[in-house]
Amino acid sequence: MTTGNLSLDTFPKLLMHHSGERGERPAIREKSRGIWRTVTWRELAEEAAALAAAASARGLQRGAHVALLGDNRPRLYAAMCAAQWLGAIVVPLYQDATADEIASSIESAKVTHVFAENQEQVDKLLEILPRCPTVRCIVYDKDRGMRHYKQPELVSYASLLQQGRQLAAEKRDFLQAEAARGTGQDSAFVFFTSGTTGPAKGVVLTHASLIDRARVAAATESLKDTDVAMAYLPPGWIGQNLFSYVQPMVVGYCVCCPESSETMLADMREMGPTYFLATPRVLEALLTQVTMRMEDTGGFNQRLYRAGMAAAHRIDAGKTVSLSDRITAAACSLLIYGPLRDVLGMSNVRVAFTAGDAAAPALVTFFRALGINLKQLYGSTETGFFVAMQRDGQVKPDTVGPVADGVELKFTEQREILVRSPGMFKEYHRDPETTAQARNADGWFHTGDAGYLGDDGHLRIIDRIKYVGALNDGTAHSPKLLENKLKFIPYIKEAVAFGDGRDMVCALIDIDMAAVGRWADKRSISYTGHADLASQDEVYELIAEGIAKVNADLAQEPALAKSQIHRFVILHGELSPDDGVLTRTGKLRRGVIAERYRALVDAMYGGAKEVRIDVEAGHADIKVRDAEIIGHRQIRSAA
Amino acid sequence: MNISAILQSSQRAFPVGAPILELDSISLRFGGVKALTNISFNVLEHEVRAIIGPNGAGKSSMLNVINGVYVPQEGSITLRGERLAGMKPTDAAKLGIARTFQNIALFKGMSVLDNIMAGRNLRMHASFLEVALQLPRARREEAESREAVEEIIEFLEIEHIRKTPVSRLPYGLQKRVELGRALAAEPKILLLDEPMAGMNIEEKQDMCRFILDVNDHYGTTIVLIEHDMGVVMDISDRVVVLDYGKKIGDGTPEEVRSDQNVIDAYLGVPH
Amino acid sequence: MLDFWFFLEVLVGGLLSGTMYALVALGFVLIYKASSVFNFAQGAMVFFAVLSFVGFMELGLPFWAALPVTVGLMILVGMGTERFVLRPLVNQSEDTLLMATIGLAFVIEGVAQLAWGVDVRRLDLGIRDEPINWVMDKTGMLVSQLDVTAAAVAGIMVAALALLFSHTKVGRGLRAVADDHAAALSIGIPLKHIWMLVWATAGVVALVAGMLWGARSGVQFALVWVALKALPVLIIGGFTSVPGVILAGLIVGAVEKLGEVFIGPFFGGGIEGWAPYMLAVLFLLIRPEGLFGEKIIRRV
Repeated sequence: MTTGNLSLDTFPKLLMHHSGERGERPAIREKSRGIWRTVTWRELAEEAAALAAAASARGLQRGAHVALLGDNRPRLYAAMCAAQWLGAIVVPLYQDATADEIASSIESAKVTHVFAENQEQVDKLLEILPRCPTVRCIVYDKDRGMRHYKQPELVSYASLLQQGRQLAAEKRDFLQAEAARGTGQDSAFVFFTSGTTGPAKGVVLTHASLIDRARVAAATESLKDTDVAMAYLPPGWIGQNLFSYVQPMVVGYCVCCPESSETMLADMREMGPTYFLATPRVLEALLTQVTMRMEDTGGFNQRLYRAGMAAAHRIDAGKTVSLSDRITAAACSLLIYGPLRDVLGMSNVRVAFTAGDAAAPALVTFFRALGINLKQLYGSTETGFFVAMQRDGQVKPDTVGPVADGVELKFTEQREILVRSPGMFKEYHRDPETTAQARNADGWFHTGDAGYLGDDGHLRIIDRIKYVGALNDGTAHSPKLLENKLKFIPYIKEAVAFGDGRDMVCALIDIDMAAVGRWADKRSISYTGHADLASQDEVYELIAEGIAKVNADLAQEPALAKSQIHRFVILHGELSPDDGVLTRTGKLRRGVIAERYRALVDAMYGGAKEVRIDVEAGHADIKVRDAEIIGHRQIRSAA
Repeated sequence: MNISAILQSSQRAFPVGAPILELDSISLRFGGVKALTNISFNVLEHEVRAIIGPNGAGKSSMLNVINGVYVPQEGSITLRGERLAGMKPTDAAKLGIARTFQNIALFKGMSVLDNIMAGRNLRMHASFLEVALQLPRARREEAESREAVEEIIEFLEIEHIRKTPVSRLPYGLQKRVELGRALAAEPKILLLDEPMAGMNIEEKQDMCRFILDVNDHYGTTIVLIEHDMGVVMDISDRVVVLDYGKKIGDGTPEEVRSDQNVIDAYLGVPH
Repeated sequence: MLDFWFFLEVLVGGLLSGTMYALVALGFVLIYKASSVFNFAQGAMVFFAVLSFVGFMELGLPFWAALPVTVGLMILVGMGTERFVLRPLVNQSEDTLLMATIGLAFVIEGVAQLAWGVDVRRLDLGIRDEPINWVMDKTGMLVSQLDVTAAAVAGIMVAALALLFSHTKVGRGLRAVADDHAAALSIGIPLKHIWMLVWATAGVVALVAGMLWGARSGVQFALVWVALKALPVLIIGGFTSVPGVILAGLIVGAVEKLGEVFIGPFFGGGIEGWAPYMLAVLFLLIRPEGLFGEKIIRRV
């Protein structure tokens, strides 16, 4: 098939373009059954065309909504292409979403066709099918365990594809015409944003807006078709979608799907991605791994690592660099960071972005010290993801960089960031009222984030505007800033800081089971599970030490000295999106958390030593601890 | 879909068929000690057949008889109508009988992949010389086996530990690898010796799922031994109960559960 | 000031003979891996193999006929040993098996001398024990043609065996049998075949080792003691590790030659004889499982 004179303004047209331009180059690689298997651009285009032919025969129409429910697989992306080929709108869902969450998205978008990865996803769909009468067809990829399913809506991907391959030849003209009918102004995706408050909203984005943002990013970072990216984050998140669908469609680079989340690091080492996207959560997990690994190594390596880190921090901070710092950094890079980058699969990474949530400056600095070009990226689903991005050679850890090309910024009096961009979303799905609230008539979108532009033109983010509060003494309080500092301690996975309208700051701590477990094993501390480990005095001691360091750090900065963490509680279980306390991308739902853990919060502020809460199997006693406050007295006496 | 529904439904991909294995009046003695006395039962093709009984009931001896480790003094074993006399473990393997062991018997020095590859031994026919000279047949068989093994690795969801030496794996995963090695031989009959011993509830549930999936997906006839009655009752088509080397019950889980002899044996009523 | 080229010459000489130690040690490793037997008769087999080869040549067989005949004979000896000496002793303690192989060593040595006499013979492989000219011209180093050829043959043999016994059907079978008899049987790996195969291979390895050593130092009873050289190699490399003994062979070769030349004079020479054993003792103290040997872990 050819694109003829068509402008490349939709994904199907881009796909055909690549099929012609670089047909034998890899589009997607997937590790399956131990071997990397390649789908070329030509194969991807053919598969998408065949699927489109078959899906059309099964009643998929222009403007209809197709939900995708599965992990990053070539077939998921082929289905994405096929749906858009016919002018349908793709609704990528989170594969670990509950049946209820899926039902609300499907109902809201009136989805007609669903692509599901496996039996697990099909089970969820069949459970909610009675509530979702619009669903006519469920395509499943993996047929394991599917033999017993006789529902008329079900069809296997393989048989659909086979059917499509037969149809594709005779429907050739139809397919060509369908692809040509699409325009850039058509809706391409509905992303259901897992908002930190309220129910999920369906954000509609057009082909043109996404392609525009991808072109800007590609130009800024000089992306080439030889670049390689990993598809390992949920495809329901716009960030992953941009890196494994939109940008490859624009640039023609190759996307690699790991075998499973457990094999991700090993697979990444094998593929050596050059262009990498991570969330702060992923980076925190990697940081914990690196720290654990270094603690296990012997004296010399560990000392060199520490010295190298210190030197790299000084160099990155742009302070005057001594010769010894340079030598230390060079030795460290050769002996330690090189192997570490290799272990992390980041030896070939040219550009890495962290996005999705604010990353602690220390976290970014850490990876940059390892020699990885990690940069911050700011944006949201509504604004087409690329709003501001750090540029090579001018990375400042406390900013998210200058605005991306085409983006305009404005600030309200409360410092809320307003954005106008070609990447702007079209609307909230079937919700003109909310759309109008979020975006004014002039096209300015209210991000809900507080921030400011520095004199250097770099954007600095403070926090979600609704979370920026104040302690009773008037000290500005941004919980995220404190939490990011806490999460930099390898033993802490999540932290929730409280303080708005209070006299002092207290925090709920969620320990990193893997890290604390290992720490306990080394000290022969026995425990039966998460709850048991979390309640051990030694673990409280360990966390208290970490918090004392954070407090010491906070005490250094006058504006933050009063934000030191006074008391804390270690939670008995992990904070999990399945309990509704986190979004699927791992952001805190503060309202839900405050409600769920009210007893603990009250105990922290009430001065109790221990608090009894109801759990599934009866009661649990949770300890409350004071943290060491640095220079507290001096501050008091000064005040 | 719930497990018993699958078992009872006529939708079963491999419906239970004719007897594949028949044991007739088996008696086994070690010196003067009677391990098994006059035991007869059969196993139907594609069924999940459990042998249960308290400790020391003779379950393992029974499995070892089927597997050719012990040759019974009396009685006969018939596989698909053919009587097997003086069978050894390697003969059993050649006849399509694979097994796992109560105390995991993996090749500890080898990786997960090599362990399961070793299970392909009988599916690879190249001679020593062909292997030594890497002649086409040896190379082709190696590649084909690797493919079959990767399918099993995917089936058992152990991709992430493919290259890990088995001695470093936790107990539950070792059991799973051992199941994989047995499956690699593409057996007709799979003997599982206490597949869930020493596991926690979650691991037990996983193992149950894998056993049923194997039966459902490959149509493998499964004979398993368990001493804990609970789990077995949920996944078995029929159950044989042994006590002190004698058969005291045989039938569907419901029948066995309501059998007074069985209840007595499990509750320890004196004989 | 140390002469670099002279140092290199000694080192190369050491590494070359190290390859040959590795080959002898490999014979031990194969058998030890498969059946946990320390084959004391390996030295005798080396002696027997090359003596028979020379004997066949003296009977008038040309080189290329004598070689396959001797290979066949060594396969028979290896398999026979397994069948008639070790199989009857299955499930006996390792000590019993060791004693059996000690007895076997005397039998083989006796039979060899009975059949072929006790004279020292020369084995001419057509390669002269002279320095390679161009190496000498270029660098001034004296590197023997024979040593290089012998090391090359040994190296190829070691590499081929290492490959064969790694990730192939045969290699997995061997390791499976070594790890767990019952499990190996259950997947249809016949123990006896694997054992016979290993012993036959050990027989052939003995022949190659015997020919290489025989060509260097004459075919004589002293070849039996070549096996003693393998002992430190085994201890350093680990009794079960093929890559371990290859590396250990090279280390032992280098250490004894370098030691002899550069440290020997302080002790009045003769260090070559005992330096490898000192090294082995050192290893026993700091790393008893050898370089790559499996850590001895006992589950509680």
